[in-house]
Amino acid sequence: MQLLLEQVVNGCAIGALYGLFAIGFGLVFATLGILNAAHGTYASFAAIAGYYAVVYLGLPFVPAMVLGVITGAVLAVIVDQIAFQPLRKRGAGMLGALITSIAFWMILDSLAGLATEQQSLSFPAGTYPTWIIMAGSVPLPAMQVIAIVSLVVVTVAIHWLITRSRLGAAMRAVGWNETAAQLGGVNPRLVILATASLAGATSGLAGVLGGISTNNVSFTLGEGMLLKGFAAVVVGGYDDVRGAAVAGVGLGVAEVLSAQYISTSMRDAITYALLLSFLVLRPRGLFGRTSFMRA
Amino acid sequence: MSMLLDWWAAYESTLAFAIVNAFFALSTYAVMATGILSFATVAFAAVGGFLGVQLLAQLGLPLWIVLPGSAVGGCAAALLVSVVFLRLESHWLALASLALILITRILVLNAPALTGGVNGLSVPVEAPFWLLLVLLASVSVGFWRLSVSWYGIAARAVREDPAVAGSLGIAPKTIQLIGFAISGAMGGLGGVLLAMTLQFVSPETYYIPVAFTMIAAVVLGGSYHWTGAIIGALVFTALPQIMQAVVPQVQNVANGLALLLIMIMLPRGLIDPRAWRIRRALRDARR
Amino acid sequence: MRKYASWLLASTLTFAPMFAHAAVPAGDYVIGFVTDSTGPLAAAGQSFTHGAELAAAEITASNYVAPGAKLTLDIKEAAGDAARSIQDMHQFLADRRVIATSCCILSPIVNSVKPVIAEKLALVVYGATAPGLPSPPWVYSVTALPGPKDTETAATVAKALKPKTVAYFVSADNDAFKARMAAAEAAVKQTGATTAAVISVLGTDTDFTAPATQAMGANPDVIMVYTTQSPAVGIIAALRARGYKGAIVGNDVLAPAAMWKKIGAPLVGVPFPLSFSPDVNQSAEAKAFVAAYTKQYGNPPDLYSAQGYQAIWLIGQALHSMDGQPTREGVAAALAKQTGIDHNVYGGQAVKNGQAEVTGLTIVNWTADGTLAAWKAP
Repeated sequence: MQLLLEQVVNGCAIGALYGLFAIGFGLVFATLGILNAAHGTYASFAAIAGYYAVVYLGLPFVPAMVLGVITGAVLAVIVDQIAFQPLRKRGAGMLGALITSIAFWMILDSLAGLATEQQSLSFPAGTYPTWIIMAGSVPLPAMQVIAIVSLVVVTVAIHWLITRSRLGAAMRAVGWNETAAQLGGVNPRLVILATASLAGATSGLAGVLGGISTNNVSFTLGEGMLLKGFAAVVVGGYDDVRGAAVAGVGLGVAEVLSAQYISTSMRDAITYALLLSFLVLRPRGLFGRTSFMRA
Repeated sequence: MSMLLDWWAAYESTLAFAIVNAFFALSTYAVMATGILSFATVAFAAVGGFLGVQLLAQLGLPLWIVLPGSAVGGCAAALLVSVVFLRLESHWLALASLALILITRILVLNAPALTGGVNGLSVPVEAPFWLLLVLLASVSVGFWRLSVSWYGIAARAVREDPAVAGSLGIAPKTIQLIGFAISGAMGGLGGVLLAMTLQFVSPETYYIPVAFTMIAAVVLGGSYHWTGAIIGALVFTALPQIMQAVVPQVQNVANGLALLLIMIMLPRGLIDPRAWRIRRALRDARR
Repeated sequence: MRKYASWLLASTLTFAPMFAHAAVPAGDYVIGFVTDSTGPLAAAGQSFTHGAELAAAEITASNYVAPGAKLTLDIKEAAGDAARSIQDMHQFLADRRVIATSCCILSPIVNSVKPVIAEKLALVVYGATAPGLPSPPWVYSVTALPGPKDTETAATVAKALKPKTVAYFVSADNDAFKARMAAAEAAVKQTGATTAAVISVLGTDTDFTAPATQAMGANPDVIMVYTTQSPAVGIIAALRARGYKGAIVGNDVLAPAAMWKKIGAPLVGVPFPLSFSPDVNQSAEAKAFVAAYTKQYGNPPDLYSAQGYQAIWLIGQALHSMDGQPTREGVAAALAKQTGIDHNVYGGQAVKNGQAEVTGLTIVNWTADGTLAAWKAP
């Protein structure tokens, strides 16, 4: 029982990172209609920025994390403006953007490799919180608590933003039909920039937290997250942030428990079997609406 | 003369890989021509590849059975998959096809009796270069005939607007099903040819990098004409080799930049029939 | 000082047999070198390549092959990809200047390039660890095979610590590590310790908190780690972060200085067998190698640098033993005659059936000041 509880906590903590990453990935997909292969590199660069801030600038944990998040957001906006905006102007659709995102993925991965001298780095001990709360007999390490709290806060905030605020309404309108939204008085440029930076920021947050808790600050960080975040988006559905969050945590818990109680080699099989059954049985995700129709 | 021979010996394998990638690109093009973005070609390639390797290595069958056998295997996998996929809306289909690649890898890893598991299998037969060329030429004739057939026209209509196509008496789902069948056959064939060119297959052989390579090849070459897939595959395979020779230090950055620039300059790809038509129309108008 | 030492060494090696036969004529001898300096294996790939570059420069500078004979590397990138490795090898085959090749970190890639160069061009493998890769006269390996050393280390540590139960981590997607773990487990069982748990991880895994929790749940006296590099350091960091106080046994992937820089304190006192380390290997050759490498690249060499270095020295030695114009067949035949690598950093390196073997066992651990020291049983 003790072990089960500890592993559930571990699963939630990993899943929180998947969820955070998936929120941004899904947001771009739903609003801008782009399958962004470069999304993982935002996480890598955020972690690298956080690492350098801590090691070379001597910044404490929270400012370093903020810097990482800003790095993710800025990078996302740069990629959007260079890789996607020219295509958007020509109305080239989702395909061209996929290819330019692959191009940026190649470029940024390679640059991230140079930035860490092809090494996998770790945040030095003492540069991030390591306290442990005891919930009864179950230990809750600081980074796990921070990851889970971050996911809850971000999910609630973005869900509120999308469903209740004017910007959110504009985002949904652009996701539905950009031309119609423009006729309705929405400034699509603003919506695009807001979406890209929000997605980059969440990916950056996942990157910094993941880089610390997995002892891996390198270009491989984002790649690993990309596949798991992608799975969370498929299970959770891309048109609702709550879906991505719940699916991310669910995937994390499923992974950890299947490794503990079944076998590690079957762990990924279970994850992807889950993915497949969602695709067949509920092909719009957890919170998907059957009436959703894209122009 | 000897320099030419040396050059040929050095780059023959690059050209061989380019031709193999052309099969994958054609496979991706076959579904894209009916308006579907699918990465599933990798999974069809895995089916064709491992099936072909088993037929070659275990049963020792001749190539003229193995190659069609792999194409049929890929085709069967494609028909099976399309039953589920064609129920999905376009964005979901793209995601589902990516998921299919991940699932295929797990299956390959967990069936070591058929696939060699993590260690992979070595392939006893090498694909001769002339065979690759002959196969590509015959497949090209097939694609050319298709493009001017009723099916080709119907596929273009479905790609532009399924609703309008439907009202013209074309069943979009049937056209897309045929597209998947062609894609599966091309993918299966490409899969076994890749195995015979590498002379080694493992779960990594048919994984995400191949998917992005083939999608990039099609879109780079031009996704509105079948020759675009072949040109794109050639460019995308040669690019890393060229960049390695020119700027070895930052070759991946250079690859990415080249891809980015081509896509921004020519968002419809290198081969663009619409641009040809516009140019012809302008010339006619001037006359 | 280093120059003098290597000159002295080179001259003793060179001049002794020089009188016996006519040497290779002066000229430019090219070795095709496939590197994985980018991509997932980049860190190790760069070490291998730097070691090889240094060996080629030393061989040329010391006129070791023959006076005026220049040994150069033609380095081509493969980024850990089988298809690109094959294409690179084809280019070497076509380049008439290339007389031998060296490649490969991953065993499956060795298997896929072997048919390409078969019977045409000699290959010295510098990094792949699976046993059975060499097949003279064409394919050789200078990889210090870690399997037997792991088994000895596990037995030595088990005898010293007398654990009742042992838990093992193993890379489930790597046959070499699976075999190493099985052999170590068998050796540990002979000391009377039982297996508490075997926990498998995958090479691409990134989170090790859950596997660490699983291992600690089994309550073992000792935990032994037989996984590839990034899981190994991740597991050890996660175990210590969750408060595991018991003994951990590692393997040679913990040796590079970059691992100390990455993880630090949790590695202190974790014993592992080692083929080469600048802190431990103190022969004249080793010191000269460390000094030259550090001067050239700004950081000390690791076990991978040493293997890259030895790969090129093996080829250099084969060339040195030849007379007349070296052909590809001639180089392969000359390689087959080598029974050991004379210039080596290990203090002895025999070549048997195409496989270079490092003699002796050194068990080391990281100390609190970030150096490697011989492990002592507490």
